[in-house]
Amino acid sequence: MFRFILAKLVRAFLTILLVVTFAFIVLRMSGDPAQIMLGPDAPQDAVDAFRARWGLDDPLWQQYLAYLQQILSFDFGVSMRDQSPAIKLVLERIPATLALTIPALILKLCIGIPAGVYAALHRQSVADRGVIMASIFGFTIPSFVLGLVLVLIFAVTLDWLPSGGQDSWRHAILPIATLSIGGIGILARFSRSAMIEVLGQPYIRTAMAKGLPWRDVVWRHALPNAAVPIVTLVGFMVGSLIAGAVVVESIFSWPGVGRLIVVSVANRDLAVVQCLLLVIAASMVMANLLVDFAYGLLDPRLRAKPAAH
Amino acid sequence: MAFVSIRDLRVAFDGVRVLHGIDLDIGKGEAIGLVGESGCGKSVTWLAALGLLPGKARVEGSVTLDGQQLIGAPRSQLEQIRGARIAMIFQDPSSSLNPVQRVGRQIGESLRLHRGLRGAQARTEVLRLMDMVGIPDAKRRIDLYPHEFSGGQCQRIMIAMALAGQPDLLIADEPTTALDATIQAQILELLSGIRRETGMALVFISHDLGAVSAVCDRAAVMYAGRIVETNDIRSLFAAPAHPYTQGLLRAIPDIDASRARLVPIEGTVPDPAALPTGCAFAPRCPRNSQLCQNYAPDLKPQSAGGVVSCFYPVEADQTAMSQRQEVWA
Amino acid sequence: MSILLDVRNVVQTYTTARTMFGRTSEIRAVDGIDLTVREGEILGIVGESGSGKSTLGRMLLGLETPSRGEVIYRGNPMPPPHSVEWRALRAHMQLIFQDPLAALDRRMTIARQIAEPLEIHGLAKGDALRNRVAELMAKVGLRKDQANRYPHELSGGQRQRVVIARALASAPRFLVCDEPVSALDVSIQAQVVNLLRDLQERERLTMVFISHDLKVVRNICDRVAVMYLGRVVEEAPSDQIFSDPRHPYTQALVSSIPRPGQGLSGRIVLSGEPPNPANRPTGCAFHPRCRFADAQCAATQPELQRHDGHLAACLKFVRARQFAA
Repeated sequence: MFRFILAKLVRAFLTILLVVTFAFIVLRMSGDPAQIMLGPDAPQDAVDAFRARWGLDDPLWQQYLAYLQQILSFDFGVSMRDQSPAIKLVLERIPATLALTIPALILKLCIGIPAGVYAALHRQSVADRGVIMASIFGFTIPSFVLGLVLVLIFAVTLDWLPSGGQDSWRHAILPIATLSIGGIGILARFSRSAMIEVLGQPYIRTAMAKGLPWRDVVWRHALPNAAVPIVTLVGFMVGSLIAGAVVVESIFSWPGVGRLIVVSVANRDLAVVQCLLLVIAASMVMANLLVDFAYGLLDPRLRAKPAAH
Repeated sequence: MAFVSIRDLRVAFDGVRVLHGIDLDIGKGEAIGLVGESGCGKSVTWLAALGLLPGKARVEGSVTLDGQQLIGAPRSQLEQIRGARIAMIFQDPSSSLNPVQRVGRQIGESLRLHRGLRGAQARTEVLRLMDMVGIPDAKRRIDLYPHEFSGGQCQRIMIAMALAGQPDLLIADEPTTALDATIQAQILELLSGIRRETGMALVFISHDLGAVSAVCDRAAVMYAGRIVETNDIRSLFAAPAHPYTQGLLRAIPDIDASRARLVPIEGTVPDPAALPTGCAFAPRCPRNSQLCQNYAPDLKPQSAGGVVSCFYPVEADQTAMSQRQEVWA
Repeated sequence: MSILLDVRNVVQTYTTARTMFGRTSEIRAVDGIDLTVREGEILGIVGESGSGKSTLGRMLLGLETPSRGEVIYRGNPMPPPHSVEWRALRAHMQLIFQDPLAALDRRMTIARQIAEPLEIHGLAKGDALRNRVAELMAKVGLRKDQANRYPHELSGGQRQRVVIARALASAPRFLVCDEPVSALDVSIQAQVVNLLRDLQERERLTMVFISHDLKVVRNICDRVAVMYLGRVVEEAPSDQIFSDPRHPYTQALVSSIPRPGQGLSGRIVLSGEPPNPANRPTGCAFHPRCRFADAQCAATQPELQRHDGHLAACLKFVRARQFAA
């Protein structure tokens, strides 16, 4: 068991290292931070000073090694813009993002899964068709379109809700709705097919032949089995709690992580972008680890105990 | 009086009829085989009787259990019969058990449902049942999951689960087909042992005539959704009256005979959506005539015993003669 | 009869995937087999799941390289997979396995599927190709009008005929049939068995017939090897092995065949579980389930020894008469 966890952690660490390296190289190949930060009309000596200040004149590999050394000692650098620690900037923004993504995730789970399961249990019914139609609608409309449509309807035309900002809970309603609708659709669709697959399995027939009431067949035998594939998708959604709202935050001017990404990338604020990517990668990897452990809990076959013959 | 009585049972899927009126009686404690090739409707008969077919199936006719009608009965009523009066086990034991639930719990579930046993009492009974069906070291293995058992042991667990409700009738749907030869023999032995001990009736559904004859007193042969012949095992094998039964018996290679050419039944099973007008077996039958092509024969009692649906049944002495001819050939 | 294939002390081990506990284990699917396949015979290989019979079949075809020992084909070692020589050999040896629907491409007409190997090996073109396909279809008993059908439009037996026709397209000399009739109904099974017998006779094919169905093996094979946990435990002409089995395992296997019209009496019912290659007993692998086993059997692994035309690997030299009693 210990070796299993260790192997998983090593793999997680390598994934993060890969992301960080990739980000490091791409960021430095795609434009000069000094030029962008100081503007096109900045005097040459100011640009030179800026470069020297941030070590941009060193060879790339030296910068990279220095950077690795830094992050290994949990020093994530300071923002080129206002000199505050990058990690602080990032952590400051996370609560705002989670204030959108966590309620959205809860909505996805509480609406998507039951809708999908209900549709699977009432196949070919009107409700089933309704769920299929609605879910296709949900996940085919891009969030920037959906967001704008919602603003148009509820903020501009009906004037029920604010179109942007973060002043009260009412400001969060439209962004949360925009975020959750697509996920509800995907999850409903996915839960439906997972459930249909499970309901066709021989052990469901066994449970029925046993005389178990249908309700118990569904709750005790079908749902625990259907949970295994659903958890994969939910894990992915948990992984994108931090980074999944970039577009929506931009539409609704919500000051979360997503906005920070957009601004920092535009400014080539290297330390902040790198720190952001590190945090996002870490959250994704963590979610993956959780999914792996959830598999073990849900499905004894994946625990791979030596068979007892 | 018959304990379970099936009358004119008909089943259709999406308008295609797959069962064309089955009549069958099962007496208390009787063991009857249901024989036929894939798609002949032998499993559908019992899934229909217990209301286990998918919703799109149209079921008509009557199945009574001690006079109580099962076809069209409300779900709650069927749920009280399933497992308690009539239990069923299936072909693929490994996938017929819930993979994410411990086997002890799956057996215990039946005990709770039908005998109200819980907790330590239920656990003791689960252990007794596991012992009874021959799972070694049940104490240690009661909390294992199905994938930790071999196919043969999974079938034993299925049998234990079926016995948990103390049913009057066990439907065994191809219970040995997925198992290896030596394990098949173990399960057949177990089933006939249990029957001796409990006196429960058994319906043994199989395409394997050998396996059927090992555990049954009587057998019904099915073809294309109809019973074509019923007789006691000995007579059925010694003197098959329906040409299809005879063909099936001849098609099985004989382990004791020399390497004679096999005698297959030519052609293939008809598509249920495009059945021939008359006798469904006529196109493959060496004895068919114009009459067979136009009219379907009814099941009729034979003077030598048994019932057969054929206009030109094979006479007992003819069977003996043709078998003799085979030996000479 | 000259020797087509000579299997010399062949071992095949697989490594299982790493488990949650980080352990990898080695499984010996085949554990030291000596066997010859003679030109023009049908050799039956019989055994339960986990006996290694399919692995042996793939090694006979050169589809797998044994981890130890060697397979000699017509006096030369089997060339390594995907080499030029190996590819040239493909046309000479073919595999037919259990599930014809999985073996066929569902989007291709059956005539196209039968023509494919001819095109791949550059054996025929144009009219010659069309004629050859028609000839092959006739040979396996498919009607001309079925040429443009798709696999799902045919019955199971007809599909297996297509698979056989395709295997015969490149005029192979050696055919391995791995459970070719197990998925078929009894009446159809007899049709396909007869077809294989006729083809073998007419074309003088050499055939290895792998099956768990002893009745079919008895009918079609000249010689039979019985496998248990990766080893051959008995080998004899088909007539002798079924009428007078020597190894206790073969005896149990033969007696376990349900016979129409006979009850359960007089059968040897083996106790215990089917063999598990991951958990091999010491000594004779069969000893935990054997009625005759003693301490010696648990300690010594018996080798195949000749007696009365049989080869049997048993320390007890059990006679058939003993078990009949």
